[in-house]
Amino acid sequence: MIELLSDPWLFITIAVGLFMAWAIGANDAANSMSTAVGAGAITPKQAVIIAGVLEFTGAYLFGKSVTETVRKGIIDASQISDPNVIVYGSIAALLAASLWLLFASKFGLPVSTTHSIIGGIVGYGIVYAGTSIVNWGKMAQVIASWILSPIFGAIVAFVVIKLVSKTILQQKDPIESAKKWAPVWIGLAFVVIGSMFYIKVMHGKSLFIAVSRYGLAAGVGAFLVSFALLRKNVKATDPYWGVEAIFRKVQVLTSAYVALSHGANDVANAIGPVAAVYAVATMGLAGMKVPVPRWILAMGGLGIAVGVATYGYKVMETVGKKITELTNTRGFSIDFSAATVVLVASSLGLPISTTHTVVGAVIGVGLARGVKAINKDIVKDIVISWFVTVPVAAIIAGIVFKILMIVG
Amino acid sequence: MQVWTKLFAKSPFKPLIKHAEVVLEAVGTLEKALGAWERGEYEKMREYARRVDDLEDFADRIKEEIRDSLSSKLFMPVNRGDILGYLEMQDKIADAAENTAKWLLVRDPNNIPEDIKDEVRTLIMTMSQESIKAAKLVYEAIVQMDRVIESGFGEREIEREYAIIKEIESVEHKIDELDTRFMEIIFKNSAKMEWGLGMYLLNIAKTISNISDKAKDAAERIRLMMNK
Repeated sequence: MIELLSDPWLFITIAVGLFMAWAIGANDAANSMSTAVGAGAITPKQAVIIAGVLEFTGAYLFGKSVTETVRKGIIDASQISDPNVIVYGSIAALLAASLWLLFASKFGLPVSTTHSIIGGIVGYGIVYAGTSIVNWGKMAQVIASWILSPIFGAIVAFVVIKLVSKTILQQKDPIESAKKWAPVWIGLAFVVIGSMFYIKVMHGKSLFIAVSRYGLAAGVGAFLVSFALLRKNVKATDPYWGVEAIFRKVQVLTSAYVALSHGANDVANAIGPVAAVYAVATMGLAGMKVPVPRWILAMGGLGIAVGVATYGYKVMETVGKKITELTNTRGFSIDFSAATVVLVASSLGLPISTTHTVVGAVIGVGLARGVKAINKDIVKDIVISWFVTVPVAAIIAGIVFKILMIVG
Repeated sequence: MQVWTKLFAKSPFKPLIKHAEVVLEAVGTLEKALGAWERGEYEKMREYARRVDDLEDFADRIKEEIRDSLSSKLFMPVNRGDILGYLEMQDKIADAAENTAKWLLVRDPNNIPEDIKDEVRTLIMTMSQESIKAAKLVYEAIVQMDRVIESGFGEREIEREYAIIKEIESVEHKIDELDTRFMEIIFKNSAKMEWGLGMYLLNIAKTISNISDKAKDAAERIRLMMNK
C-alpha cells in the first residue's frame, strides 16, 4: 500500500476509479433498488443501508471474474510495450466513462456503465495501436451478451410472473398460496447465491457440487426461515392486497439480491482499469498476468457503497415516489429475474449491463400483461444508447489518452 | 439515469375509475332530479338537472385528460383502442344523463291525463332506478378490470367480470322493455294529450333508456379488453 502514494499516476488512477465507483453507486446502484422503493417495500433509507452493505459484499466476494475480463480481455495487452500506456489508457477510459455517465445522468439517458467503460478501453486501445489491438472475438462475445442479457431478463421475468400468477394470484386462496410459494422463490434465490459462493469464494470447480451441496443447503435454509416468518396471519379484506403485503416483505430480500448481483457485476467497471494500473505499477507489464488483489475489489465496493449513501439516497427518493404504479408481485418478478441473470452472467465472466437486464425484465413482465403501462419510447432510447454509448465513450477516452500521452 | 421513472408510465385505469365515479354521480343526480320531478318539486328538480350538466362537463374534462395521456407510445396489457373505445362509451353514459336533464329543464309535466299519470310516473322512476343500477355496474366492471389485470388475467376474476357484464346486459334489456311499454301507453293515449307533452315524455323515456344502452356498449368494450 505504501507504493501507492509514491507513484502519483497510480494515485490518480485510484482517485478516478473511486470517482467512477461513486458514480456507479450514486446512479446505477440506486436505480437497481428503485423498483423495491417504488413498490413501497423499503424506504429510501433502508435501501441505502441494504445497497451499501450488499453492493460491497457482492463486489468483494463475487466481483472477480468480470474484473478480469474488463482488465485484460477486451484489448490485447501483449501489444503494449510501454507500461505508461496502460496507466494513461486506464485513466482515460475511467474518465471518459465517468464523464459520459454524469452527462447521461444529467439528461436522464439510460446508459449502461458497463458499455461506457468497455467503450473507453477500446477507445484508448485504438488510438494507441489501431483496431488490431482490440480482441474482436472477445468484443463480439461481450456485445452478444449485451443483446442476450435483456432477452434473458425478459424470458426469465415472463416465466416468473406467469408462475407467480398461476400458483398464487389465480388460486382459490391467494394469501395462503403466497405464504407457501413466496418462500420457494426466496429459496431459489439462495440456491443461486449459495452456488456462486462456492464457486467464487471457495474457488470450487464443480457446478454440480456447488448446486447440490451449497446451493441446496442455502436454499432449503432460506426456505425454512422465510416460511416460518411468513406464517403470521395477514389481515386483508382483499386477497390481492394480502398477497402484495406478503411480497412487500419478500421484496426486501430480492432487493438485497439485486444489490448483491449489481455489486458483483458492476464493480468491475470501476475497478478493472485500476487493477490493470496497479498490476503494471507494482510488477511491470508482467503484472497483467496476476489476479486482481482483493483489497482493490473492496475499495471498489466501498466506492459504490459511498455513492449509494451520499447521492443514491436522493435518486431513490425521487424515483421511488414516481413509480407508484408497480405492485410488489411485479417488482419482485423483475428483481428476482434480473438479479439471477446478472449474477449468473457475471460469474461466467461476462460483463453484462445491469440496467439493460432490468429493463429486459420489465418488458418480460409487460409481455405477460403484468404492467399497466410501459413507455415504449424509453425502450427505444435504451436500444439507441447501445449504439451511442460505446462510440462516445471510446472517442472521449481516445482524446483524453492522446492528451495524457503528450502531457505525460 | 433515472430509467425507472420514465419506463413506467401512469396506469390509465385509475383515471378511468375516477371517470366512472363521476359518470355514476351524474346518473345518481339525475335520479334525484327525477325523484323531485315525480313529487312535483320542480325547483329542486331544476337544481339537480343543472348539476347533472356540471358533472357531465367534469367527466368530459377527465376524458380529455385520459385521452391525452394515452399516447400510442405506451405498451399496455390491454389494447389502447379498446381503452379509448371504452372511455368514449363510458362518457356517453354521462351525455345521456345530461340529455334527460335537458328535457327536464324544457318544461314542467303539466296536464298528464289522470288515468295514466301514476303508471307514467312509476315507469319513469323504475327506468331511472334501473339506469343508476347500470351505471353502478359499469363502475364495478372497470374496477373489476383492474383486478383482472392484477390477478394476471386469472380465470376466476375474468369470470366475475363476465358476470358483471351479463348483469349490465340484463338491466339494459329490462329498460328496453319498460321503454317499449312506455311508448305504447303514450301513443294509446295520445288523443288525450297535447303533442308537446307527448314528445316531452317520450324523450325523457328515450334518453333514460339511452343511459343503459351506453352502459351496455361500455360493457362490450370490456369484453374486448379481456379477449386480447
